[in-house]
Amino acid sequence: MSDPVLVIGAGVAGMTAAVELADNGVQVVLVDRKSTIGGNALNLYKAFPTDDCFYCFEGNRWRPGIRKCFYRSAMIDQPNIELMTNTIIQDISGTPSKFTVKLVIGPQYVDPKKCIMCGLCVEVSEAFALESPQCQPQAVTYDPSKLDEGAKKAEQDCPTKAISLDANPSEKTITVSDIVLATGYHEMQPVAVDEYGYGVLQNVITQLELARILDPNGPLGGRLVRPSDGREAKRIMMIQCVGSRDENYYPFCSKICCVFALKHANIIANERADGRVSVVYMDIRTYDRHERYYREAREAGVEFVRGRISRVVSTEDDTLEITVYDSLLDKYLRFSIDLLVLSSALEPPEGLDEIIKTLGLKTASGYVGPADAASEDEVVVGEHVYACGGVLGPAEIPESVNQARAVVSKILQGRK
Amino acid sequence: MTETEERTGPPETLIEPIDMSKLDPKFRKEIHSMPNAEELSACFACTTCTAACPIANQWNYKPHQLIRMILLGMREEVLSSKEIWECLTCFQCQERCPQKVKVTDIFFDCKNLAAEEGIIPPNVLALGKSLIEKGQLYEVLNDWEREDLDLEAEVPGLNTDTIKEILRGTRTGRLVGGEK
Repeated sequence: MSDPVLVIGAGVAGMTAAVELADNGVQVVLVDRKSTIGGNALNLYKAFPTDDCFYCFEGNRWRPGIRKCFYRSAMIDQPNIELMTNTIIQDISGTPSKFTVKLVIGPQYVDPKKCIMCGLCVEVSEAFALESPQCQPQAVTYDPSKLDEGAKKAEQDCPTKAISLDANPSEKTITVSDIVLATGYHEMQPVAVDEYGYGVLQNVITQLELARILDPNGPLGGRLVRPSDGREAKRIMMIQCVGSRDENYYPFCSKICCVFALKHANIIANERADGRVSVVYMDIRTYDRHERYYREAREAGVEFVRGRISRVVSTEDDTLEITVYDSLLDKYLRFSIDLLVLSSALEPPEGLDEIIKTLGLKTASGYVGPADAASEDEVVVGEHVYACGGVLGPAEIPESVNQARAVVSKILQGRK
Repeated sequence: MTETEERTGPPETLIEPIDMSKLDPKFRKEIHSMPNAEELSACFACTTCTAACPIANQWNYKPHQLIRMILLGMREEVLSSKEIWECLTCFQCQERCPQKVKVTDIFFDCKNLAAEEGIIPPNVLALGKSLIEKGQLYEVLNDWEREDLDLEAEVPGLNTDTIKEILRGTRTGRLVGGEK
């Protein structure tokens, strides 16, 4: 029997690749460094282009028996997939089609096979959390840095004895035939772009943080409030291209932040009472069919200001006084704003450069580049090494899914 | 040396910014509700209108800027601008707009609003007055012009009384104060 395929990253792309390979009878080891799978998409609230909540993403409703949350439940139920969360890649050696991969599996504080998500531990200790009711694997998470008295009580009282606070990390070495990189992107924390005050002013946040605030499943239950005092936020300003298209940070266009921002602007303008949104931009790049988000936003009364922010000053009651240069009017405008949302650059995730170095891959602005730039096989990044989704550069969900399927097709062809 | 002098800090910009809270956010809706202004908010400021305009190089506010000002709520500045009255109404901007914004018609709406508030440039007002009083914009004053052409001095059968009567009942009549 052939060796399994290793898929690194259990986000949209990785899950798609894993489940479709598994459905075709290929053994898959799916690895994610987080304890809950889903990647960035999990925190998007509504995902474009369908505005579905990702939890109920129905892209593959043909799969018998499972309609909703299908990928993530398949991750657990499909016998050909071995899902390893909390796991990082320590080392990759060997030769193409016979890679030796050393994995470090983080301590398993909560056994997902035993956890029934009763919530007892979450009640008695700060260290436990339920990421979401639909999380996969279906288990609470434990943060050892928050260890308190309650955690020990939780360990004792857990009705299924699923908790083990003195769990240790373990190592495992596997042999795989192919490697699929699906490590996705990471949203830059724009602390270095100091004119916006991110990390200093509480009411300055990023788009992914805004998605968490807007999400009814999120910690605030979907209430649009200011982080500083929990008061309702009515006046929102967004600023595009923070760190993107900027030679000081990332020279590339992060591609999806415009649509991302417009999606949020539309949600606020249409679904939140008295929500007023201004978007400060250099260019609005709603590529392809996403132009409709831009038009809808304008119809919904979202205010677009082409220009840049001169400065942000926080007043005593945490309102932000923002001066914007409007380059179309050639005038400076002053706004009073509750919440400033930065459309921050999407950067390669931590540790990707090491994988690229180890496997000797090509890079494109820090992301993985195709092995042969002239070929049309953008997902083929090395001999028996493939990539799909955000690891090739910022990508939307349908694009990630398409690339994942291209990878699957390449691997299946290679095994025929 | 006294350090008690109150310092308000350096100016943010040399020119004081426009305070958004002092603008009129309803202005956008007001214009939007007027004839042919439904597509106002579709503007994405591509500046096609300004590129098409044969007179905008003479203007302080270009057509795309006027639309921007309407969207931002700069009611006073738009309605008191000379530009809306100087529009040649050639409709080039409207013809070319990629988002179907009826720019020229929106300037007509602005002129109507401005006129209702009594903001009419004196020369336009004078024209209106003369129209109401004389029933025609161009009066033949030099009868020698007609004589040179072997025509009788008076235009035969010219009677503007009816048109004057009608005009008095119109908005123009009301705005220029054409009381009887």
